[in-house]
Amino acid sequence: MHSLSQLKEYLPFLIPLFLIQLGLMIAALVHIFRHKNYRIGNRVLWVILAVALNTIGPVLYFTIGRGED
Amino acid sequence: MVIFMRGFLAFTKKEFLEQLRTYKWLIFLAVFFLFGLMSPLLAKLTPDILSSMDMGGIQLNLPEPTVMDAYSQYFKNMTQMGVVVVLLVFGSILSNELIKGTLVNILAKGMSRTAVLLSKYTAAVILWSAGFLLSAATNYGYTVYLFKNASVPNLMFSMFCLWLFGCFIIALILLSSVAAAGSFGGLILSAVTLIILLMVNIFPKAEKFNPVTLVSKNTALLNGTNKAGDLYLTVAMTTTLIAVCIITAVLLFKKKQI
Repeated sequence: MHSLSQLKEYLPFLIPLFLIQLGLMIAALVHIFRHKNYRIGNRVLWVILAVALNTIGPVLYFTIGRGED
Repeated sequence: MVIFMRGFLAFTKKEFLEQLRTYKWLIFLAVFFLFGLMSPLLAKLTPDILSSMDMGGIQLNLPEPTVMDAYSQYFKNMTQMGVVVVLLVFGSILSNELIKGTLVNILAKGMSRTAVLLSKYTAAVILWSAGFLLSAATNYGYTVYLFKNASVPNLMFSMFCLWLFGCFIIALILLSSVAAAGSFGGLILSAVTLIILLMVNIFPKAEKFNPVTLVSKNTALLNGTNKAGDLYLTVAMTTTLIAVCIITAVLLFKKKQI
């Protein structure tokens, strides 16, 4: 089922998907390491969440975890 | 009136900068793009995923996924996860500033409270519209790519209903944030109101008047069970409710101690 031609058919999905998830993760990590204060949780927790939970981790960080500048 | 407009425009601009600074645009556009991308893909791959799982020898005969599956997957994602994202991103548009006290100075300088609320609503609706349009376009593009034939009836109207429901949620958040205290008060109050509205829809007679119907009839609209005309009353009702929410929020906000 997972032949090479099928993979090729799904490349238009996989590439943007990968790029966006990577972009969100990097944006979140950069923000986490540049700031000391978080509304909820601590640095270790947010680094783990941002890396382990793709999309959801960074979104949760920016909506709930991000502290004030 | 001129002063009001000037204040409104200045505050709307400030809201946009704030949205950019707090990564709301990044989150919103990324997540809604992903919804548009994932939905047709999930619909297409579901039979493959299910048949690759070991079902203890049971043979599953799943029909080939159709364009309808792609759209119902999309509307399911948008009305469940999408609503959660909208609540999370916009849940603190007002409460944050009330708690930090950043509004005190601006209001003391003569900025109209009405302008503040209208600016917040305008900026939020524009961000929601941008995210929504991006996800709708992405979803349409990928559905055409995967399913070739992507034409279904009432697609535009169904999309419009979804968009209007988003605008209703934002108005609800605004009203709840004025009415409830604390940083999560507004968020919780609007979530509770939405859950109540969902439960009210159990009664068939309430359906036509309930904004939730806008997002529960998407699939029925697309496969022709419901006609667009069935929802006109709901659209009118929701538009009225949005206006009522905003006006009530403004009236309450004018009396609120800040």
